[in-house]
Order: sequence, then structure tokens, then C-alpha cells
Amino acid sequence: MAKKISNNWWSRFTDWLDIGSGKLDDSMMSSFDDETSPSSSSVELQKDALRHEKDIDDIRNNILEHEQSVYDSLHTGFTSKGAKHARRFYMLAAMAFCIGIIALLLNTVEYLPEFGNPDNPVNNEVSERYIEKGMEETGAVNIVAGMILDYRAFDTLGESNVLFVAACAVLILLRISVEKEGDAAVQLEMEADDRMYEPKDDIILQTTATILVPLTLLFGMYIIMNGHISPGGGFSGGAVMGAALILYLNAFGFEKTERFFTFKTFKAVSVCALSFYAVSKAYSFFTGANHLHSIISPGTPGKLFSAGLIPYLNLAVGLVVCCTMYAFYTLFRKGDM
Amino acid sequence: MNNYFEWVRFGFSALFTLLGLFVLLSGVIGLFRFKYSLSRVHAGALFDTVGILFMSLGVIVALGFTLTSFKILVVIAFLWLTSPVCSHLIGNLETTIDDNIDEHLEVLDKDIVKQIKEGK
Repeated sequence: MAKKISNNWWSRFTDWLDIGSGKLDDSMMSSFDDETSPSSSSVELQKDALRHEKDIDDIRNNILEHEQSVYDSLHTGFTSKGAKHARRFYMLAAMAFCIGIIALLLNTVEYLPEFGNPDNPVNNEVSERYIEKGMEETGAVNIVAGMILDYRAFDTLGESNVLFVAACAVLILLRISVEKEGDAAVQLEMEADDRMYEPKDDIILQTTATILVPLTLLFGMYIIMNGHISPGGGFSGGAVMGAALILYLNAFGFEKTERFFTFKTFKAVSVCALSFYAVSKAYSFFTGANHLHSIISPGTPGKLFSAGLIPYLNLAVGLVVCCTMYAFYTLFRKGDM
Repeated sequence: MNNYFEWVRFGFSALFTLLGLFVLLSGVIGLFRFKYSLSRVHAGALFDTVGILFMSLGVIVALGFTLTSFKILVVIAFLWLTSPVCSHLIGNLETTIDDNIDEHLEVLDKDIVKQIKEGK
């Protein structure tokens, strides 16, 4: 058998060399049939091909029957008594597993320190220091703002950078480059550009937006600028401002939003805010670590312009959060800003 | 006398809260029982506004004339502005998408449906 096939291969190869590739198909057709040797007559070849097609049909039918029988056996097996028992066992095992996990977690809770106990490991000298001397040292009435933007400002810089890096990653993945030339790029841009499917000029939505957007923006600015006096701060205020921008975009469309907020604005605001944060905090860390005199003073606690750098850092964080929220929305929707 | 006034105030507050609870409950039942999405939007939009009004009024009566109750009034105004607009947009979207709107309800003004579908 093997010898014959190799012979056929050789003959096919020589035929191909002699006459050309058109002959190869015919010789392949005839080679499937073991009974007849390759003949030069075209009528014989056609007959062979027909017979061969019949064979292929038979094989296909056999395979289909086999698949049907396998499916039937599996199906009957699935609905049989043993399978039912297996499923019931699986259900019981899953329930037992869940109950076991719950019991384990509840058991762990028992070992946790009592809630509100003054001897808990959380209540150590660090939090005492924050509570007792926080206002005096940072000038912020809001202890949380004093903590995250003065004592642990380095950590907050990392958080803002995480947001910025996330926005950059989404930009790399989703942004459609406008600078690329060529038909393909234009086509892609046209497809992704959903200006056609934008909400139509909905009068109800637009009227609501004209009332709400300025109020929401003002409220966001209020939360940011009073971050060191009352609860709030850069992250929450920035989220409120970003929501206002998204509402404006939904009501009036990209063309009107692009008059004041484009990709350039996003780049400039984000980079300026983050570099201001890094530079100013580097100065305060440098002076603090080397016991130098710093020009930043806590000021009078409770006043708007007090607490040293905290209001300005809050503003920087809020701008970054606002821009990132808006950028995420536009990028996921249109792939561009 | 003061005690008597407190009891009346508590009664009004409880009345408003119970009314709000009733409205919210009937709205939620409507949300789950209605089959077609526009009917569900209708139920959701109505119970949202009235239920929140009654619940917040209950809280305002219980608190009296303070800054917090004024803030709750602002919250009511905000929700009354935004929630119906949301329902309107959802209904608009449903009308735009649904091609067989006649099967679910009787369309009185076919021109408006056509306008919404074409985007004016």
C-alpha cells in the first residue's frame, strides 16, 4: 500500500513536471481509486470522479449517522436515572461547599477585634496624632483632607497617576488616530464616528441640561474648593464635574462640546495638574525632611485660603479626575475626543 | 400643649411616609407585572416622582424648619428635574428601536412615531 502511494506520488510529480499543474488534479482523482490505474482517457477519469463523489457522500452519511448515534446516547445518558442522581449530588455538593465557605468566613469574623474597642490595633499613636494635632499641623478642618493631602500626599499623587495611566491605556487601545492618511483610516474613522447616531436635538433634555449643567459644575467646584473645610475633596468634586460635562455632551453633541473641551485640553489640563502636584509636594517634602523653612504655612483653620497647599492640591486632583471621567466616556463611545 | 403639637407632627409625618410607601409599592408591583417596556417606563416614571415627594415630605415634617429640610426640598427639585427626563429618554429610545410598536399598543398619532424614528 505504502509503496503504491509513493509510486503514485512519484508519478504525480513527474506528470506535474512534464505537463503542468492542470494534470495534477486528474491524477489525484484517479489515485483515490485503488482498482483502476491512472488512465489517460478523459471519459474514464470523469467516471472515476463520479464514483468517487458517491463514495464521499457515503462517508459523509456514515459520519452523520455516527454523530446522531453519539448525540442520542449522550442525550439518553443525560436524562437517565444515573445522570439525575449525579446532578442531584452535584447540587448538594455545591450547597455544602457554599455553606462550608460561609461557616469558615463567619468563624474568621469571630477572631476579629471587637468593633469600637479602644484597645484595637487600629487605635495606635498614628491615628491619635492625626486627630489631636492634625488641624494644628496641616491647617485643615477636615481631618481626612489633612491626612490624604498632607501626611500621605505621596500616596494621593500615586492615585491620581493611576487614573492618568488608566486614561492613557484606554487612549492607546481605543483612540482612532486622526493624523493617519489613506482611505482605510478614513473609512475606519467614518465607521467609528457616531455623530450620525448622536441623540437628536431633544428639546426636553436640552432645557434640563441648560438648567442643570451650570449648577452641577458649580457644585463640583464647591466640593473641591471646600475640601479642607467640609467633607468632600478632589476625587468626589471631580467626579461631579465630569458628570456635568458628560450631561452637556449628551444634550448638545460633540460639536458644541469641542468648542471648549478637546483632546488638547485634556492633555494640557492633566499634565499641568499632575506636574503642579508633583513639584509642589516635592518642595514641601524637601523642606520638611531637611528641617528648612518653608514658605507654605497652615494659615487660619476654617478659612477658604488656608491649610497650606491642600486647596490647590485638591484642585489639581479634581481637574485630573474630571478630565479622566470625560475622556473615558468619549473614548468608549466614539474612540476619540 | 407642646407635647400635643409633637404628636400631631408625628402623625402627619407617619401619614406622609405611609402614603409614599404605598405609592412606591404599587409602582414596584407595576414594574414587575407589566409586560411591555413602555408600560413599565410609565409605571416607573410615575411612582418615582410621587413616591419620593411623599417620603421626603414625611422626613421634612419630622425634622421641622431646619437647614436639612431645605436641603431635602432641593433634592426633591433635583429629582423632579432629572427623573422624568430619564424616563422620557428611555421611552424615546424604545420607540426608536421597536419596529412592531403597533402589536403592543394602539398608536393614536402615527406621525409622531415616524418623526421619532427618523430623528425629526
